Amino acid sequence: MSRDQGLLANLRDLPKNVWRSLFRNPLPSSDLGRSQTSFSNFFLHIHPVKTHVHSLRPAYTFGLGVIAFSLFIILTATGILLMFYYVPSVEQAHDRMLDLSGTVAFGVLLRNMHRWAAHGMVAIVLLHMARVFFTGSYKPPRELNWVIGIVLLLLTFFASFTGYLLPWDQLAYWAITVGTSIAAYAPGVGELIRFVLLGDRIVGQEALIRFYVLHVAVLPAIITILVGVHFWRIRKDGGLSRPASADLPEAQSEFPEAVEGKLEGLAARSKIQKKKSFGVLGMVRGPFNKVGNTPDNTVYSWPHLFTAELFCFALTVLIVLIVAMVFNAPLEAPADPTHPPNPSKAPWYFLGLQEMVSYSAFWGGVGIPTLFVLGLLLVPYLDRRNKGVGEWFSRHRLLANTLFVLFLLVNLVLIIIGTFFRGPNWSLVTPW
Amino acid sequence: MTTVESGIADRKISRRRLLSMTSFLGLLGASGVVVWSNLLFFKPRVTYGEPSRFRIGSPDAFPLGTRLPLGRQRVTIVRNENGVAAISNTCTHLGCVVATTEIGFACPCHGSRFDPDGTVLGGPAPRPLPWYQLSLSPGGEIEVDTSAEVAPGSYLKV
Repeated sequence: MSRDQGLLANLRDLPKNVWRSLFRNPLPSSDLGRSQTSFSNFFLHIHPVKTHVHSLRPAYTFGLGVIAFSLFIILTATGILLMFYYVPSVEQAHDRMLDLSGTVAFGVLLRNMHRWAAHGMVAIVLLHMARVFFTGSYKPPRELNWVIGIVLLLLTFFASFTGYLLPWDQLAYWAITVGTSIAAYAPGVGELIRFVLLGDRIVGQEALIRFYVLHVAVLPAIITILVGVHFWRIRKDGGLSRPASADLPEAQSEFPEAVEGKLEGLAARSKIQKKKSFGVLGMVRGPFNKVGNTPDNTVYSWPHLFTAELFCFALTVLIVLIVAMVFNAPLEAPADPTHPPNPSKAPWYFLGLQEMVSYSAFWGGVGIPTLFVLGLLLVPYLDRRNKGVGEWFSRHRLLANTLFVLFLLVNLVLIIIGTFFRGPNWSLVTPW
Repeated sequence: MTTVESGIADRKISRRRLLSMTSFLGLLGASGVVVWSNLLFFKPRVTYGEPSRFRIGSPDAFPLGTRLPLGRQRVTIVRNENGVAAISNTCTHLGCVVATTEIGFACPCHGSRFDPDGTVLGGPAPRPLPWYQLSLSPGGEIEVDTSAEVAPGSYLKV
């Protein structure tokens, strides 16, 4: 087809050519097309061209990572929209919250979505961490990605915490007062940390603008970068963890999806092997020094992986939408710096912390949490035995998994006590 | 090419290595300055909230037996036969505002309790409520300085 065909003809072909420059590959119908679709699309090329069938089993990952990222996308979208009407000023912030329900189209829905997606993201990120632990997926070579994940967990907490202040209601004001006072117990630098965080001695205008900037710019930017690294590392570490047995020839019978319709490919592979030099398509069959030596238990990411991810995303959006339409995000009376509500409670995921703080401010608020975080960060460097990887609750990992269950249970029990069993003056009450 | 290569080999440090080392050291120093200056930047020199020194009026406004909590300034003004004192209303545990009760003060957040002088009676509070320095301004008004603590029991004689 000649490109040199005159302006009129170019104008005639304009829509077709624009379309083709956007969508370079037709919907793929061959393996070559499926590879090229993954290769040549910016948004898809973070994925491998082929995915191991074991990684696609819903009961292995429950899609928790994809759901957490979906929630982050929802939070970014709704958050940017909310920014158009929000003013980070102590005089206006709470009124703007009320305005969302009165004067802004879809204002309440957006705020509800943002609030529930934020709670959801904290919960899902925690569950994602539990999945990775119970399947032993933090073991070498995935140590660094576990550490990045822990940093992302802390950033998620911090993003949620900074967002907590923005409505400037009683809940926000006193939760942040309590939360930042916990930080002040850090030995030596505690008071300085609180002063720098709040920009003043007590929570006020300075704290509001600081938390706002952290919440809408600094933290999302850092999270975005680290999420990118987190995804990239999955591929560099050889995809999602899977048991070594999943790559044995015998495993082929367990993954019928991987064999289906591959006769053509198998024939092509034997040809490639004879030449002892591999084209791009040979490489994408697997780690390329193994071409033809290991059973190929992978399938094309298009459509297998992409469909699964799309489904997780759609389901997440749907659930957040439904929850946002049924339940309204709470908004209490405007912040009153002279009268704390009784009891004053932090966000639910910090209530375990607050419960510990009520026994000892230093140990509950700084000492034990620091030990928890240090322990989580060091887990992959202390437990390096490569047994029981890629399998839920492996018997080889009985001790590690038991300890982690205990760790989760302690936190869960503390959160439940703090949420339901603490009343006025932080005295024990029964919720029924 | 050979002349250039031998020229490089003659020097003790190659030009490229010198450039990369100076760049690296320069950037390392610059990062140190950036970290330090950012710390200074984020620590405000002036705060815009409630001032730490403020006047509360003449002593006559506080008759004997007064216990008056000032909400915005977070102090309770006490007047008895010993004189006038200002006791902090901010719980030493986690910064909530304590309420005035019959026993003294009680914190609604985590249940710390204090006697009328701010001594801890129970709960998680690690320290008694601080007492602030009082002085008489030239105009005869009482001035509270919440940036200066005094020993509990230090009254301003008026």
